Amino acid sequence: MTLTLSGISKSFDDFTAVHPLDLTIPEGSFFALLGASGCGKTTTLRMIAGLEEPSAGRILLGDDDITRLPPHKRPVNTVFQNYALFPHLDIAENVAFGLRRRGIKNVRAQVAEMLDLVQLGDLARRRPRQLSGGQQQRVALARALINRPRVLLLDEPLGALDLKLRRQMQLELKRIQTEVGITFVHVTHDQEEAMTMADSVAVMYQGRVEQLGPPADLYENPRSTFVANFLGTSNLVEAKVLAGQDTAGTASAGLRVEVPGADGALRVPPDRCSAGDTEPGAMVLVGIRPEKIALVSAEEAATVPDGHNRLTGRIKDAGYLGVSWQYQVETPAGAELTVYAQNLERDSRLTAGAPVVLHWRPAHTFALDAAQDAAAGEETL
Amino acid sequence: MTAAAPPSGLSGPAGAGRQPGSTDGGAPDGAEGAPRRRGLTPYWLLAPAGLWLAVFFVAPLFYQASTSVQSGSLEEGFRVTWQFSHYTDALATYGEHFLRSFGYAATATVLCLLIGYPLAYMIAFRAGRWRNVVLVMVIAPFFTSFLIRTLAWKTILSDGGPVVRALHSLHVLDVTSALGLTGDDRLLATPLAVVCGLTYNFLPFMVLPLYSSLERIDTSLQEAARDLYATPATAFRKVTFPLSLPGVVAGTLLTFIPASGDYINAQLLGSPNEQMVGNAIQKQFLNVLDYPTAAAMSFLLMALILIIVSVYMRKAGTEELV
Repeated sequence: MTLTLSGISKSFDDFTAVHPLDLTIPEGSFFALLGASGCGKTTTLRMIAGLEEPSAGRILLGDDDITRLPPHKRPVNTVFQNYALFPHLDIAENVAFGLRRRGIKNVRAQVAEMLDLVQLGDLARRRPRQLSGGQQQRVALARALINRPRVLLLDEPLGALDLKLRRQMQLELKRIQTEVGITFVHVTHDQEEAMTMADSVAVMYQGRVEQLGPPADLYENPRSTFVANFLGTSNLVEAKVLAGQDTAGTASAGLRVEVPGADGALRVPPDRCSAGDTEPGAMVLVGIRPEKIALVSAEEAATVPDGHNRLTGRIKDAGYLGVSWQYQVETPAGAELTVYAQNLERDSRLTAGAPVVLHWRPAHTFALDAAQDAAAGEETL
Repeated sequence: MTAAAPPSGLSGPAGAGRQPGSTDGGAPDGAEGAPRRRGLTPYWLLAPAGLWLAVFFVAPLFYQASTSVQSGSLEEGFRVTWQFSHYTDALATYGEHFLRSFGYAATATVLCLLIGYPLAYMIAFRAGRWRNVVLVMVIAPFFTSFLIRTLAWKTILSDGGPVVRALHSLHVLDVTSALGLTGDDRLLATPLAVVCGLTYNFLPFMVLPLYSSLERIDTSLQEAARDLYATPATAFRKVTFPLSLPGVVAGTLLTFIPASGDYINAQLLGSPNEQMVGNAIQKQFLNVLDYPTAAAMSFLLMALILIIVSVYMRKAGTEELV
């Protein structure tokens, strides 16, 4: 049963939390709404749950319009951010709450089965406050799943757990989702969490969906600076579009751009260009992920394979991270590029101040519209 | 447990209120020497209140206890003769007053709860930015003296006043007369007036504890209940109300106990037929000057309140509440 949000929006007084939004979430999928706090992802989730009434638009579950149904009539359950376990009831009664409300008398077997699923069978008679954060999280999950909802909504379910437990629960959640086959809609601000668990991710920014797709697509081919920066890190450099002489007419026709002060043009594949204006002379932002760049000493410039995009520069800083080296490279373009290099055999000439050549395959390059904030979505400390 | 262990060295009375089930931190850093000085701190903090209680509560209590078993008269002086008959005599003579006191106090407490719960609920969950304004309005009557406020009620309920006339023309007074709450087409000098006065005067003592326990309830619990197929009414019955029980218990005690001993309302709004035990005690102390009987009645009142309260507390089962 597909969950469809159609033109749904939410405004509070003079603030629009969610701009008209269309989403289709297929049955059985693990769907993540990813974004920084205040981007409208939780409001969207609460509208699906019925805890917030949309200002406009419709919510469909299969063919049923549930837009105006009160929360207790929706076949949808929520795992709340701080779990919201009932402190006056024990674990078994917390889990049985939904069944009892629907008039099911004999709940014992189902509760036991559900507590086994989340591996809490022996804690049935404890109170929530006697449990650790991770255990409470499982109770919240069991309390929602026991009702066999059509859609399970998870609001930052792992946000309150420490890093190690979060990793463990990510795998656990994924296992349970596969096991029960229920559609999960997961709200999170943690891009890694969204990428490891979800089949599809919708990245939200300022009340709008910036980009939607499988995690790998979002990472490899971001369509906006926010997505490029929020999912991992990106190097974004301003460049001018050149007339496409030498590739014109061939199947691999893409964009040729020139970074000011660089030697030669950079090439961008046609399907990786999301800039609006690509006429010769227009400005675009050329992007490349730091781990896709290879770094060689200027003396080895001749070893750069033909056809690679290349930039020259000077190492400003070389940081040792154990598993990798992180270089900051100044280029004549003025932009500073970050390069991650695996910690294999390292050329000892690659130290601060050394002139270097950066090169990468054109297929890893992407181009974004220059008329947006190049720093959107970057982590600010 | 996420609860942080209390600072080491806080033992004795200050450390007693910890959650059950929380494991003691063990305080490995609690070296000898430093905790020694800190160990006395709780007692120093207790000292002013303890001293106050000793001088103004414990000592008078013993003094009154001894008075209650004395005999004699004002002219000859009173001596301790262990005469316990004051207690039985008082109960025989003023049994009706005791019953009336508890009846009025219980009625006023129930009315306070019925009026106060919706009010406290509204302040806690629906008042928004008006919350503080409404809270100030709840305690605003305290800026005037208890006596003045009750006298004001005397004016409001006076014979031929607007309230009596309105209720008369609406035939409400006929109904209350039939129930034995009023008579002679008047409100003053009736049980209804006394109960109304008690309800009005003690309402803040009900509202404030109710408010503070409701306000602490995480609203996401109500949302969780709604999400788990509870109608708004069921969510209230199964989640909000049980979690507010500590406030209900505190509010009813803070209303019932002082209302049982009150005599101002009965004196100003009632007639001799509505006299409560407080009035009787006051009369014995100040008019009859029979100190032993007055002291015995005070102790009886205290004992009966203690019994009622402990039965109530057991029924309310407050032990596992958050």
